[in-house]
Amino acid sequence: MKLLVANRGEIALRIIRTCRKLGVRTVQTYSDPDRDSLPRRYADERYALGGATPTESYLNIEKLVHAALVTGCDAVHPGYGFLSEESSFVKACEENGLNFIGPTSEALEKLGNKLSARETMRQAGVPVIPGSDGTVNDEDEAVRVAETIGYPVILKAVYGGGGRGMRIAKDSEETRRFFRVTKLESLSAFGRGDIYVEKRLSSPRHVEIQALCDRRGKVVSLGERECSIQRRHQKLLEEAPSVAVNDDLRHQLNEATKKGLSAAGYTNAGTVEFLLDKSGEFYFLEVNKRLQVEHLVTEMTTNLDLVEEQLKIATTSSLELSQNEIHINGWAINCRINAEDPRNFAPSPGTVIHYHPPTGPGVRVDSALFSGYAIPEYYDSMVAKLATRGRDRGEAIQRMRIALDEFEIAGVPTTIPLHRLLMHDEGFIQGNFDTTYLNSVLPHLKSNLLRLEKFAAVAAATSKLGKTALPPTHERDEVSKWRTSARAHHMLGHGGG
Amino acid sequence: MRTYRIQLNERAYTVAVEQTGKHDFKVTLDGETFNVESLSDHKISTCLIQSDNDSIRAQISVQPTDKVDIWLAGAAFQAAVRVIGAGGYALAPHEKGEDRVDGSIRAPMPGRITSILVKGGETVETGTPLLILEAMKMQNELTSPTSGQVKSILVREGDAVKKDSLLLVVGGNAGNPTKPLAP
Repeated sequence: MKLLVANRGEIALRIIRTCRKLGVRTVQTYSDPDRDSLPRRYADERYALGGATPTESYLNIEKLVHAALVTGCDAVHPGYGFLSEESSFVKACEENGLNFIGPTSEALEKLGNKLSARETMRQAGVPVIPGSDGTVNDEDEAVRVAETIGYPVILKAVYGGGGRGMRIAKDSEETRRFFRVTKLESLSAFGRGDIYVEKRLSSPRHVEIQALCDRRGKVVSLGERECSIQRRHQKLLEEAPSVAVNDDLRHQLNEATKKGLSAAGYTNAGTVEFLLDKSGEFYFLEVNKRLQVEHLVTEMTTNLDLVEEQLKIATTSSLELSQNEIHINGWAINCRINAEDPRNFAPSPGTVIHYHPPTGPGVRVDSALFSGYAIPEYYDSMVAKLATRGRDRGEAIQRMRIALDEFEIAGVPTTIPLHRLLMHDEGFIQGNFDTTYLNSVLPHLKSNLLRLEKFAAVAAATSKLGKTALPPTHERDEVSKWRTSARAHHMLGHGGG
Repeated sequence: MRTYRIQLNERAYTVAVEQTGKHDFKVTLDGETFNVESLSDHKISTCLIQSDNDSIRAQISVQPTDKVDIWLAGAAFQAAVRVIGAGGYALAPHEKGEDRVDGSIRAPMPGRITSILVKGGETVETGTPLLILEAMKMQNELTSPTSGQVKSILVREGDAVKKDSLLLVVGGNAGNPTKPLAP
């Protein structure tokens, strides 16, 4: 088998690693700014897509299919984002005899977009959130729907994903304004601007079930992930399992997932997202029809290689694993390290001039960063995933504290200060949080950053003195201590040479 | 002992530094003492900073100007450093101008202008959305820092812009631009 990697960054690297393990040859596609990137270095072959913007490169179906054909690939892995859930891309692959590593176009279309997924789930008996019947065409209609179901509401891009193309509106003025912004964002990121409206639940938790489905209708659940630590619907931290899910609820979520995905005739790796309200009721949120960013915490608690399972399902049509072989072992936490200013989360592309990621027992870093890497402004701001595993949640947190402390990145600001704060926050440690929780932590982040600023002032002052240093007072300091101790060693008669 | 005035974000710090060893410094800031050990003297150097309660590592890159870039705990800072003690020059009185709100809208990051929401000559208020700048797939709404008139628009929709490039100028209203008069 030979596989085209139709993605970039850390997920491209992740896919290539499994392919190398399995002896599958890889072709890495790349845009102009990605010429000097790690996945391009590690792949067996490279294919230039040309251009810099996603539309010119990783969103260009014609170029990608052509790339797969001319390089003699028989499979395509889309990663996450970009074309991973685009049925016209899957169709184009199928028509050209390429094995798309993901759901079939038929399965994709049944879940099609966020709206048709909602309808499929509702018919399968999975609870859904109240909202608009279909898309809303303009600002006026958005306001009418919002006023019927009651504020606050969420404006969602039908073709959105990964937390993009979503805004909460609490009155008609915001509904109008965010309708425009969400439409623009969706057009630019996903190529289509369809919007729908859904009621916003108050302070829910976000819990999701990772599933694997084969082409014979078998669905296996790999357990839940807790993803409530979010800012503007963008997940920042995920863990597996969830403190909010007991055995009974886990059973219910697994059953809902199996019912829903079976009804859709879903295949390959997929995730069903749920919102969990304070009373323990859960509602279907959406299906992620791809490998997800946070899949690594599931890998760390199940000991499975999800990319390998994806490849097996796509090539053999059946899933060897059965539900009673799945055991959740220990606890894993993932922190998304984004190149963003921690003061306001503004994206901050730039060149990484120094990079030293943490290592050690229970630590995993999925990243395509290296010293000297220029983070392009055209793509996502997530530049690393730092995950730790422990026997229990406490050990995973302890390991995360150390790993975050060891992490050195110079050249761009990152979300590390936020994660450092979370790992010491009582609410997080107790597991007492929901999707609104992060906003309550942000004021503490401000004071933490002010404290860091003092340290920065101290460092700045010594740097200047260091450069215009006073003449050294003791010339003897210049003599290498290595040599001195070696000589002493020798004189003491320990010989050696 | 030398004393520096360090400008960081909107704040100024007065920092006293005493070199206690070849690589060691004792630093005083707001009555708090920090011990600093410089580990290397590369283009990007690393130092260890210890206070009574915390210990932090920092990476430092000294610019040819008075600017120093510092990265610590995953955060990034840029400081402007001026000597004010030990044979240095006295600091000029704080320029009054620094407190005035600047009506120049600059790109906070590199990206692309996806829409311009105002016209030249239009009257805007503090917080009025002016432009949308797309970077890393996110639409960033840039709002007016002051009230006044849109004096000039230096970009067009679709333009790629560099960080800090001037996009739009809001001017006008003399006096205190940020606080509207009470009724």
